[in-house]
Amino acid sequence: MALRNIRTQGDSILTKKCRKVEAMTPKLKELIEDMFETMYDAYGVGLAAPQVGVLKQIVVIDTTGEDPHVLINPEIIETSGTQTGDEGCLSLPGMSGTVTRPNYVKVRALNEDMEEYELEGTELLARAICHETDHLQGKMYTELVEGELRRNSYEEDEE
Amino acid sequence: MTGRVNIRELILGILLEINKEGQYSHIAIRGTLDKYQYLEKTERAFITRVCEGTQENQIRIDYIINYFSKVKVEKMKPLIRELLRSSVYQLIYMDNVPDSAVCNEAVKLARKKGFYNLTGFVNGVLRGIARDYKKIPFPGRENKVEYLSVTYSMPVWLVVRFMDQFGFENTEKMLQASMEERPVTVRIKEYLTDREQVIQSLKKEGVKVEKAPYADNAYYLSGYDYLPALTAFRMGNIQVQDVSSMLAGEAANPQKGSFVIDLCAAPGGKSLCVADKMRGTGMVDSRDVSEKKADLIRENVERMGMANISVSVHDATVFDHESVEKADLVLADVPCSGLGVMGKKTDIKYKITPGKQEELVELQRKILEQAACYVKPGGILLYSTCTVCREENLENVLWFTREYPYKLESIDDFLCEELRSETTKQGYLQLLPGVHKCDGFFLARLRRIE
Repeated sequence: MALRNIRTQGDSILTKKCRKVEAMTPKLKELIEDMFETMYDAYGVGLAAPQVGVLKQIVVIDTTGEDPHVLINPEIIETSGTQTGDEGCLSLPGMSGTVTRPNYVKVRALNEDMEEYELEGTELLARAICHETDHLQGKMYTELVEGELRRNSYEEDEE
Repeated sequence: MTGRVNIRELILGILLEINKEGQYSHIAIRGTLDKYQYLEKTERAFITRVCEGTQENQIRIDYIINYFSKVKVEKMKPLIRELLRSSVYQLIYMDNVPDSAVCNEAVKLARKKGFYNLTGFVNGVLRGIARDYKKIPFPGRENKVEYLSVTYSMPVWLVVRFMDQFGFENTEKMLQASMEERPVTVRIKEYLTDREQVIQSLKKEGVKVEKAPYADNAYYLSGYDYLPALTAFRMGNIQVQDVSSMLAGEAANPQKGSFVIDLCAAPGGKSLCVADKMRGTGMVDSRDVSEKKADLIRENVERMGMANISVSVHDATVFDHESVEKADLVLADVPCSGLGVMGKKTDIKYKITPGKQEELVELQRKILEQAACYVKPGGILLYSTCTVCREENLENVLWFTREYPYKLESIDDFLCEELRSETTKQGYLQLLPGVHKCDGFFLARLRRIE
């Protein structure tokens, strides 16, 4: 396992559409492991393959630290409700913005063994599913931000 | 996508960076807070408090863990060690965190980090400590060295050294003071400044202003949020500086129109103090080893609006032909072990070793060798450190007066009654935190024989 470099906004790979995965290979298995490691290391809750420079439809998500999911060739098949809240992206460190997303999402995808399954999520998990599947279409959350994109500023007591 | 950050995981990362990778605690903490700028203020405060507190009390915490754990702290995996330390800190020193939350979070974190087989161990040790902490037999006062070491989390070799030098009681006072929070001290500028007006301006912004001892224009400030936002700070009327460091300016007693060289000047406190005392006359040649440090000085000089300071980059250990016998006054505030300010920098006491201290003494003497050449015959060299060890202080001065044509000169005329003693009459002063009302500091006034 290894950490991969997270591409940041400005890298053209983040604007490209990803290809479907046709078959699982040892190389892709390794990629998935690396994606989890990279995501945990960056304290993320989701990461898409293009963010580590691979144009394949692969997403990893874990919103609680105990609930890892791999989504290969994901397709959102149902959504309902809305939620409006802050969102950030590992490819845009230090920034956040307000984004409205469905509050419930059902997604159909393949797991690591290329078996089809469905995953339902609400709130943070729903948001993460939308955010990551957007990456596979070359879309960033910045396109959806309402109002200004914010620099996460703070004040510190200096000595 | 970014997510809810696990605060305790960040803390663990910081402690590992400090203890495993040898990073300085304030840099490790700052680095993480910079990376996670979106954290709430309370979360940021929690991270800082737990990291600093765990560091500061590490030896005592280790003693507690060792009493409850069969595996001794030194034998543990680094991650488990830091996890237990920071959890014990929360159990014992933070009343507002429920014990059960501390234990649960620690177990979850151990699992998340892949130590499935150690979750039972972590849980057992922490619950044991939460339940029976009060029953731990801590070393009693009769067992002097161990008592001081465990009570104040001070490495044994330093305790032994301090006791040799200052005796048991003063050592205890000093260690006690190093654990206490101290207010921020500022020097109010004298030249072209109305002190009363500055104090009024501070009070108007809700700052509590109290007179600090020993130096005429030293004041304690408290009750503000962010010092650089205060009008008096932005206008360059105040400079953050401990009283001890101001005393170096007093003991230097610069004359109007003097040429002064400050060899290790960053962030510029003493240069500013001396320039202020010369009422804008003369010139202070303010130097430090890197551009970054020089910038720190420049920033302060600019803000304080002092025209009689010039800042340059120069390594104090490298001989400078241009400066030979040029200065009326040379300030040599040399790099040191910093044991006088260990209350402010929590990891100093663990980072210093006898070997590192020897290297420091060598460096200090090398700087003194250069400084010796820059003072005009009849001029003054003011040597200072922010440490309390004889090796870096008096012993260096005695070595210097043996090797170079300098003699110690009384500083009684420049000090308040309270600080005068047998040693100040001879020409040097050792300040001890807890014994004196300021940081630990050493200063000696040396005159070059004509």
